[in-house]
Amino acid sequence: MNWGMTMTEDKDNLDLLFAQARQDRQELPDDLAVRILTDAESVRLSRLQPDEPKAAPRWARLLTGLGGWQGMGGLVAASMAGVWIGFSAPEFLPDPANYIYAEDVSFVVADLSLDTSFLEDAE
Amino acid sequence: MEDLTSAPQDVRGVDYAANEPGDDALLRQFANGDAAAARVLTDRLAPRSLSVALRFLGNRAEAEDVTQEAMMRLWQMAPDWVPGQAKVSTWLYRVTLNLCVDLRRKKTPDRLADVPEPEDEEASAADRLQDAARKDALQTALSQLPERQRQAVVLRHIEELPNPEIAGIMGISVEAVESLTARGKRSLTAILAGRRDELGYDDD
Repeated sequence: MNWGMTMTEDKDNLDLLFAQARQDRQELPDDLAVRILTDAESVRLSRLQPDEPKAAPRWARLLTGLGGWQGMGGLVAASMAGVWIGFSAPEFLPDPANYIYAEDVSFVVADLSLDTSFLEDAE
Repeated sequence: MEDLTSAPQDVRGVDYAANEPGDDALLRQFANGDAAAARVLTDRLAPRSLSVALRFLGNRAEAEDVTQEAMMRLWQMAPDWVPGQAKVSTWLYRVTLNLCVDLRRKKTPDRLADVPEPEDEEASAADRLQDAARKDALQTALSQLPERQRQAVVLRHIEELPNPEIAGIMGISVEAVESLTARGKRSLTAILAGRRDELGYDDD
């Protein structure tokens, strides 16, 4: 058997196979082109949108967490109401100050009366 | 003199005619919001990605998915592309091959070749069968090559890329490319020699 000849033939055959493979290089199927261009369009559109969420400063993210400007307005109103109630409690609400100071005040008064009677007795 | 009338996308590894924007410029246009640039880039580059993926994987559905993913990465990296550093096609070939390798490592056994039928209406049924057998033979032989040899052989002998570009795609030296393609061809020759009778070359 002539091995040299066989090797040459095999190499030629391989070159033939490569040549055929090059001829068979594929056009892009339409459906794949559509899939690729749909991706391109979604990337392009997402890039055209302002990317605020990424660049938003901390205070803006906090504001968003609290419900935006409307939520913030409500929060401010509620806080102001609390401050006002602290200053001037409506009559239907018990004033905590009375609970704290009521006994002390009566004690002072009692003390004074005691002092007075004592002085009177001494006279 | 250079023939400016021929369709540039039909020639692998050859720069486009001077009157057409290069891939770099098109990628920048796309990054700036030009949808038409995406269509031209797809026409030029996606068939190359598909061709390599199909030859590497031997499966059309997988090859199409890989091409779609490689092109997706192209769209996403467009704003970060630095013109002049490398060819866009080199980048895409590299991404395509990496995706193919990742896919094959996840799925072990190679599926049988899924290379399209010849479109020549004139060919006789016997010729068509023989053609299909030859293509299957090449695909089957390719799938038996080690990964790097297969990549180098496909890029050199089917995509017809110059060795320096293959070196850039594979991240190796030109000498290493030459060595891989030489060994790959020897292996293919040996694999194919084992089934000469099935291929019918002696009849041609």
